[in-house]
Amino acid sequence: MEDGTFLTDDFLRQLINVGEVDILVGLPTHNNAKTIRSIVHTIQSGLLRFFPRERAVIINADGGSRDGTPELVTGISIDDARPAPNLNALRTLHSISTKYASSPESGVALRTILTAAELLRAKACIVMSPESANIESEWLSSLLLPICRDGFDLVTPTYRRHKFEGLLMTNLLYPMIRALYGARIREAYAPEFGFSGRLGCQFLGQNGWNDGTDGAGTELRFTLAAITGGYRVCQSFLGEKDHIDRHAADLVPTLRQTVGALFSALESDFPAWSTVAGSQPVPTTGPDLEVVLEGVRVNRKRLREMFSTGVAELEAVYQSILTPSTLAELQRIARLGEEDFHYSAEFWVRTVYEFAASYQKSVISRDHIIQAFAPLFRGRVFTFLIENRNSSANDVENNIEGLCLEFERLKPYLLQLWKSRE
Amino acid sequence: MSLNKDALWYKDAIIYQVHVRTFHDGNGDGIGDFQGLEQKLDYLQELGISAIWLMPFFPSPLRDDGYDIADYNAVHSNYGTLEDFRKLLESAHGRGIRVIIEMVLNHTSDQHPWFQESRSSQNNPRRDWYVWSDTDTRYKGTRIIFLDTETSNWAWDSTSKSFYWHRFFSHQPDLNYDNPAVREQMWNVMKFWLEIGVDAFRLDAVPYLVEREGTNCENLPETHNILKELRRKLDEQFKGRMLLAEANQWPADLRPYFGDGDEFHMAFHFPLMPRMFMGLKLEDRKPITEILQQTPEIPPSCQWSLFLRNHDELTLEMVTDMERDYMYDMYAASKTMRLNLGIRRRLAPLLSNDRRRIELMNGMLMSLPGTPIIYYGDEIGMGDNISLGDRNGVRTPMQWSGGWNAGFSTAEPERLYAPLIHDPVYGYPAVNVLSQRESEHSLLRWMQRIITVRRSTGVFGRGSIEFLHPANHRILAYLRKLGKDVVLVVNNLSSTAQAVELDLRSYKGNILIEMFGNNIFPRVGDLPYLLTMGPYQFYWFRLRRV
Repeated sequence: MEDGTFLTDDFLRQLINVGEVDILVGLPTHNNAKTIRSIVHTIQSGLLRFFPRERAVIINADGGSRDGTPELVTGISIDDARPAPNLNALRTLHSISTKYASSPESGVALRTILTAAELLRAKACIVMSPESANIESEWLSSLLLPICRDGFDLVTPTYRRHKFEGLLMTNLLYPMIRALYGARIREAYAPEFGFSGRLGCQFLGQNGWNDGTDGAGTELRFTLAAITGGYRVCQSFLGEKDHIDRHAADLVPTLRQTVGALFSALESDFPAWSTVAGSQPVPTTGPDLEVVLEGVRVNRKRLREMFSTGVAELEAVYQSILTPSTLAELQRIARLGEEDFHYSAEFWVRTVYEFAASYQKSVISRDHIIQAFAPLFRGRVFTFLIENRNSSANDVENNIEGLCLEFERLKPYLLQLWKSRE
Repeated sequence: MSLNKDALWYKDAIIYQVHVRTFHDGNGDGIGDFQGLEQKLDYLQELGISAIWLMPFFPSPLRDDGYDIADYNAVHSNYGTLEDFRKLLESAHGRGIRVIIEMVLNHTSDQHPWFQESRSSQNNPRRDWYVWSDTDTRYKGTRIIFLDTETSNWAWDSTSKSFYWHRFFSHQPDLNYDNPAVREQMWNVMKFWLEIGVDAFRLDAVPYLVEREGTNCENLPETHNILKELRRKLDEQFKGRMLLAEANQWPADLRPYFGDGDEFHMAFHFPLMPRMFMGLKLEDRKPITEILQQTPEIPPSCQWSLFLRNHDELTLEMVTDMERDYMYDMYAASKTMRLNLGIRRRLAPLLSNDRRRIELMNGMLMSLPGTPIIYYGDEIGMGDNISLGDRNGVRTPMQWSGGWNAGFSTAEPERLYAPLIHDPVYGYPAVNVLSQRESEHSLLRWMQRIITVRRSTGVFGRGSIEFLHPANHRILAYLRKLGKDVVLVVNNLSSTAQAVELDLRSYKGNILIEMFGNNIFPRVGDLPYLLTMGPYQFYWFRLRRV
């Protein structure tokens, strides 16, 4: 679609009617009819409770739902959302919707929300996930107040998680972003986050929307742009986060959205991350992570099998990506039985850094690189699960911290690989 | 010019509220009087108003600006004589201006001879003219209105060693309307003034006439019966006269005051006023449309009375706690501006002296369903003096010119009943009638113009209202209809320019004629009618098929 006609005339007309706002709530959806009603009610309730005086709008960017999701969003009355009998909305609260034709993962939703925020001169914005069954109205306050009251530009969430939830975050994204960009952001790729209007405008203007990356990973790039742009970032504890079951088949698209986006960003962000040493905590409201021990079941055996099969089947691909010694070590591990299997933190970091460098070199198709990464991630996860099966919350946190330090310690190795590329 | 004979004259009226004391001093003693007011009737005629509402001018100790009456059948010597009043009435009528006076039914001054007699002994024949009790525990469910000054609705009378009931200040004992003699006497008082020729009464504090245990002592059926009886007598003996209710209540509670067209002719729409200010500040029509949608239909002969400001504080009793907090923060940042549950400020300072907002608010006042009331001085954008106590800050002398005492009085300045406004923005050298008369684009000239336009059609006073619901919430749009006459009103509540699409398909084929300039706008077609509006702009369009 041409950049100049990115928004439909109908959506523009709706934006004209909304006019300037203080708060914009972005709600990307795709066939979320089952959950959307309660989510919109909770959002309305949060706006009524915590921001009764602010001009607010809910913007639904829908990726072509066939279950009537957009109609539900625009049709929900705020009268049903009164958190208390004497709490009336002072203002009109608009809920507007637009559909886009691309895939829901394409970043178009965020682009739509950012464009709307710019046109409406929104001062503070949040993006809410349509899949969070346990969203609470306090989340709006937690994500928006740091922007409205304290002048932060990006508010990322932290959650109360089971120790084996968010494994991609704990084993790769958090430690790697922390090591490279220097900011200890626990959830750099989150379904809920808040941002200032000025950060939104800046990102909208700078991000290469038509750079051929198909928009994947925009949300992660948004966080990285906030860090490299010197914006004020903080974290806010939201509480329980409902676990959404993802099948193994979901892993590659997720890696594309996250690891791919991170690897891709490293190129343009090189001047920023290459000079960063160590890492700093970011201001956090509430705990930066709360680990609980109950709950999630993971099929460890299947993880190891997929690792071993992947290493065997993708040997030729790995030869293009990894150093010979790393590949040899992978093959050695793959042959180990379950009892002896161990994918150490140090070796994991080396593997990741070699993948990152190869991604930059585009030694093969970048998409193939990401696909080849999936089995290795499963192998690392297997070790993490084994190492922590009887660990306390503190032990798990200490292990994650150890991995982070390993990423920081080996950062020169990545720089060395990077320079060898040149 | 003479008075029109239409019995429903109040529906087309534009009322000007004035306190005799504040308007013009005819005898040079520093206090406004009937003589002075009469001298300024030409000004009021030129302004275009059709009725004046005079605040209490009866003999009184003036501890509540005359709402504490000590004699109902005379005038306070400060303001002249009964003969002066008769002359004023005659002069006003000669200019086509009707005169509405205050009638404080609920209570008297504690200096009134009736109360003096009543308290003198438990056996006095007038003992039962007031509400007495041995304890201060009766009627516990009744709210206190003047929260800033009173802690109870009962006051101890050391003379008769008992408590008396008062809904307002403790020096204002409530009359006992369960006593037939009181009811008869108060009708006689009204008859006295009706026979002199007054056209209407603004009946003060009417919800509180009767007390009953176990109730909140407001809006009781017994009170309505008393009011209906007064109306019946009025209709029988004085046709064409009018009763205006002061009842600061929610619309649903106000509705019974119209009865079946057999109680009040008019009633103030108290909840609308703060919501107009709220809508303007929020730049959102929601508060206004919400309260008007909650406003019940009233009998055809009845009418709402609308106002922006009056002699009291901008009352915030009829809003939610959240709305009240918002109003305080937006319009009364300084605590000295707050009084009871309200804001004691004039229109222009409330609106930051922004001419566009003042015009928009007056535009809505003149075009929403009801009879508009203009508070004296607001037509020139007078300011207030919040350093004066109680509500006196909005009752300062009228500013006629930039000369001696603002043209209000020839007395020495220190003899004026209240100091003039002197500040650089609102002071009389900057804001006065004389200079605004000479400027074609002054607020005064604009007010004259809008009153003329309003009076050019009966649709505003008598027409129905139908709200349009454009998606742009900053736009308040409605159609006023009376017979074949249709007027479209579009108000931009926003401080910025707005585009709005109006669904006027049912008027397809009509052209729009803007009523201030009489310019023609494009014909209504099948598509939404697009208007672009400047900040705080409003339009009145007459729809016409050509």
